[in-house]
Amino acid sequence: MTFVISLFDEIGGALLFLQRILRTFFYKKVKTHDVFEQIWKVTYDSFFTTAMAGFFVGAIMTVQFALQMKEFGALGYLGGLATSGTFREVGPLLIAFMLSGKVGAYTSAELGTMRVTEQIDAVRCLGADPIQEIILPRFIGIIVSSFFLLGGGLIMSVFGGMLMGQAFAGVNFEEYLRHVPMIVSPVSILSGLIKCGAFALVLATVCTYKGYTTTGGAKGVGRSVVATAVSTMVCIVIMDWFTSHVGEVILIMVRGYRS
Amino acid sequence: MITLLSETLAGLFVPPFRQKEFVHQLYFVANKSLLIIVFCVCFAAVVTILESSFHMKMVIQNDSMVPGFAALLILRELGALVTALLLCSRVGAGYASEVGSMQITEQVDALRMLGIDPVNYLVVPRFLACVMGGMILTVIANMACIFSAMVVSQSYLGYTPSMFLASMHRFVQFKDIIFATIKGASFGGVIPLVACYFGFRCQQGAEGVGRATTNTVVVASIAIIVIDFILSYTFSYLY
Repeated sequence: MTFVISLFDEIGGALLFLQRILRTFFYKKVKTHDVFEQIWKVTYDSFFTTAMAGFFVGAIMTVQFALQMKEFGALGYLGGLATSGTFREVGPLLIAFMLSGKVGAYTSAELGTMRVTEQIDAVRCLGADPIQEIILPRFIGIIVSSFFLLGGGLIMSVFGGMLMGQAFAGVNFEEYLRHVPMIVSPVSILSGLIKCGAFALVLATVCTYKGYTTTGGAKGVGRSVVATAVSTMVCIVIMDWFTSHVGEVILIMVRGYRS
Repeated sequence: MITLLSETLAGLFVPPFRQKEFVHQLYFVANKSLLIIVFCVCFAAVVTILESSFHMKMVIQNDSMVPGFAALLILRELGALVTALLLCSRVGAGYASEVGSMQITEQVDALRMLGIDPVNYLVVPRFLACVMGGMILTVIANMACIFSAMVVSQSYLGYTPSMFLASMHRFVQFKDIIFATIKGASFGGVIPLVACYFGFRCQQGAEGVGRATTNTVVVASIAIIVIDFILSYTFSYLY
């Protein structure tokens, strides 16, 4: 029972924290310089990691789809299907996982250390708002740079898929890319982008919240880092299902029929 | 890291065997993470089956093969990979911060002074527990995945469980689950090695522990994806 209560407590705390961040975002001046600095830092730090993960994800998807497509003799569709699967679903999910391991853990460790060494209290003592000064730039930075990272990862995934299609299934580059524009519609890309945005929002909220509410010295920092890693993963998977479901419902409402 | 791997592998066969510690770690790895992993993997399976039905309808105007394909995708790829990534963030981060704190509070040096090999004392039981736990969790996660996919295909796509199982039976072989178990074991082995490697090399101070944890999660995730790619490529010649 205490577990359930503490779960609701955490969820409510995170939502209230998000509300505070958003209120600061709309009503107070945003520190533009800090925001750009954070965007640059997050993107620069994780670009290589996400690009490499994207490359291998594309390769894995191509190998798996090739095994299935061979049974139908529809290898021509391989490129389109693997690319579409990566763009719509697997790409944003895996890039969000990578980001939660790298950026999420780093941010919550940084904020937790600041909290434990009373630097956040010092900022408040100087008459500044810690949310405006410290949290908001990181929050916006994570969300904006996740789109850049997604772009890089997806490009690398197409590249990895092309290489694997050539090496594993004997589909050459032109054939691999020929069906991509037919199968990957703008709606697919849009749904991938919406997913990525939703994951980044969840990730940024959870890691700043966990870092900001750290208590209990150096051990507490370690504990909040582990808690961040676990809870972001769970939240991302739930958001994934949620966005798929809601996106489908919205599509049905817009089109007026079930696809 | 290769030195650590070879020392660990040698330590597997050198007494003292620390059975109690092993059981303790196995409990931590497998039992404590079971609920969260099953939960996440179920959601992932639901999304997979919905997406693959979407794609099949688009390309061949017919999704009668979807249950078989989705089950194949789950067994070969998704179950093991998602389980390993979750384990990596949960167990890997925990181990790295634990070993890192031991290193900076000089407990590792104290062990060495007492004549206990830290690799034998710390790494070997964790390694064994993660390999075992990875195998067990992969099998359980696959079963949960297939079950949830069955439920969803019943309620959204209109396939009854028997149709699902029949379609699955055409595509899935017993080999698949053995390969999935091998994958789970090798992913599980990577996690404690990376975590203990970064934990032993942890710099002084609280920031050092944080950095070791972050590095562990990143390096282990990338290593898992790369190993997954290599194993899929190898296994694809064995079907």
